[in-house]
Amino acid sequence: MRGKAAFERVFRIKGGDFINAGESSIKIRNILKDIGADPDIIRRVAIAAYEAEMNVVMYAERGLMKVIINAKNITLKVEDKGPGIADIELAMKPGYSTATEEVREMGFGAGMGLPNIKKNSDHFDIRSTLGKSTRLEMIFNLNGTYD
Amino acid sequence: MGHTIKTRRFHSVKIDKKKCIGCVRCMQHCPTRAIRVKNHKAVINEERCIDCGECLRVCPYNAVIPITTSSADLDKFKFKVALPSPVLYSQFGQHVMPNEILAVVKDLGFDLVYDEAWMCEMTSRAIEEYLDENKGPKPVISSTCPVVVRLIQRLFPSLCDLIIPIEPPREIAAKNLRSDIASERNVAEQDIGIIHITPCAAKMVSINYPETMKKSNLDGALSIQEIYNDVMLKLKRTKTPRILDAHSQISGIGIGWTIEGGEIRGLKYFHSASVSGVYDTIKILEDVEAGKLRNIEYLECLICPDGCIGGPLTVENRFVAKSNVLRLIKTFGGKKRVDAHFVKKLYKEKYFSFEAAVKPKPFAPLDKNREKAIRKTELIEKTLKRLPGTDCGVCGAPDCRTFAEDVARDEAQLSGCLFIRKNKGKK
Repeated sequence: MRGKAAFERVFRIKGGDFINAGESSIKIRNILKDIGADPDIIRRVAIAAYEAEMNVVMYAERGLMKVIINAKNITLKVEDKGPGIADIELAMKPGYSTATEEVREMGFGAGMGLPNIKKNSDHFDIRSTLGKSTRLEMIFNLNGTYD
Repeated sequence: MGHTIKTRRFHSVKIDKKKCIGCVRCMQHCPTRAIRVKNHKAVINEERCIDCGECLRVCPYNAVIPITTSSADLDKFKFKVALPSPVLYSQFGQHVMPNEILAVVKDLGFDLVYDEAWMCEMTSRAIEEYLDENKGPKPVISSTCPVVVRLIQRLFPSLCDLIIPIEPPREIAAKNLRSDIASERNVAEQDIGIIHITPCAAKMVSINYPETMKKSNLDGALSIQEIYNDVMLKLKRTKTPRILDAHSQISGIGIGWTIEGGEIRGLKYFHSASVSGVYDTIKILEDVEAGKLRNIEYLECLICPDGCIGGPLTVENRFVAKSNVLRLIKTFGGKKRVDAHFVKKLYKEKYFSFEAAVKPKPFAPLDKNREKAIRKTELIEKTLKRLPGTDCGVCGAPDCRTFAEDVARDEAQLSGCLFIRKNKGKK
């Protein structure tokens, strides 16, 4: 007998690459549409995945986004090699941002990224080692199918 | 209910099997990958088609036939009203004015002809009313193009609640006309046939199968191509142009709705953006889905390139048509023709509102059983590795990925791929 079905994929994210940013988020959305996830869940995952991807692009050197989909839920794990976050509690405050002027001029870095990710996920965990890396884990429950 | 000349078909295009030679053009252009070539003929998957008309545009053999109302069907109505899309004003050169065109259209056998540009301007004001009080998610997306509504329902179901719950001008104008004519001319409402003259076949679908109301206010749609020759001949042969008095004041703001950006040009102070063409629309909706466009308050999306003047059932090429529209806008000016207080009153009475919200209608998942659907996503990845990735279309699917999907859905056999067959022969 085969084990439970699970879809796994790892996407590489390059720090500072604003041109290709958002591509992995589109691919994840398409997989969710293929398996018939509820539109509301697709929207929430889309926003969280995009914000998480943008955080790596804006602040880190590089990162990986792992997506695991099983019949019950979707897990997104993002791990980056970057500066880390000194004060997580402060970083979670809406409007707080350490983005450079340059990044803000491009319309990013409004300080809503992490709060938005938390708001849109059913489970959210963040860990960071200053000067080394930041890890995010988001889980979204896949309740029922959409008819 | 009175007479009906609505077709029973779900879609606005069909393939003429005699003319179709089974090339892959329409299949490879279809934005929802709804077309397959089977036994040397294009076949449209009715579930995936959104009536964008791309196939109609690209077919070199005229094998894609648009389905609209024919002139012969009009006799079923006692009182016939033409409601031409203002796109019609752009089709007969720079020197023919809208009111001359309307007079000629009336002579084609209508009891009344009505200018829609005025209602476009009314709708601009109604949109402003909505945006003024909107506290919901952004950007709010235009509901004018019926294909955009269907594209969102199918491909971007999570964005359904962003669609502005205001009916497009053609529907409101028809609703207004029916009650006015019935009371002023003493005609029973069901004896009135209100026919839209349309630049695209998609309107036919929105009339037959409206998404936001029980029954459309329109009774049919004639294509601009169908009446073009008659109108042109009459215009050429009339020495002194006749003008309908009621239409001497045409709205410049309303005429602008026929080109991309026209709808948002009518909105005074909102941060808005416009996009046209099916591929660019899909691209921007992907950004909306990721939450990238939250700073934009209103987004105008039109499926035809450059807007409705780029509709597949127009005659004049869209660049000349656009130039004609810009000239008309100059002629009629940006002066407001409608009374803002009147619109506000109607808006509060929900005169412009949808009867029902737009419902998500996503494509069928790979499998109804989620476990199986997830396994199939894996199967697609595996199959893809065996395929050449050249998207040649010989298998009858538009690209290798779609073919792998068809295989996973049991709708195609792996041996349908020429490269896989060839490699098998070698072993």
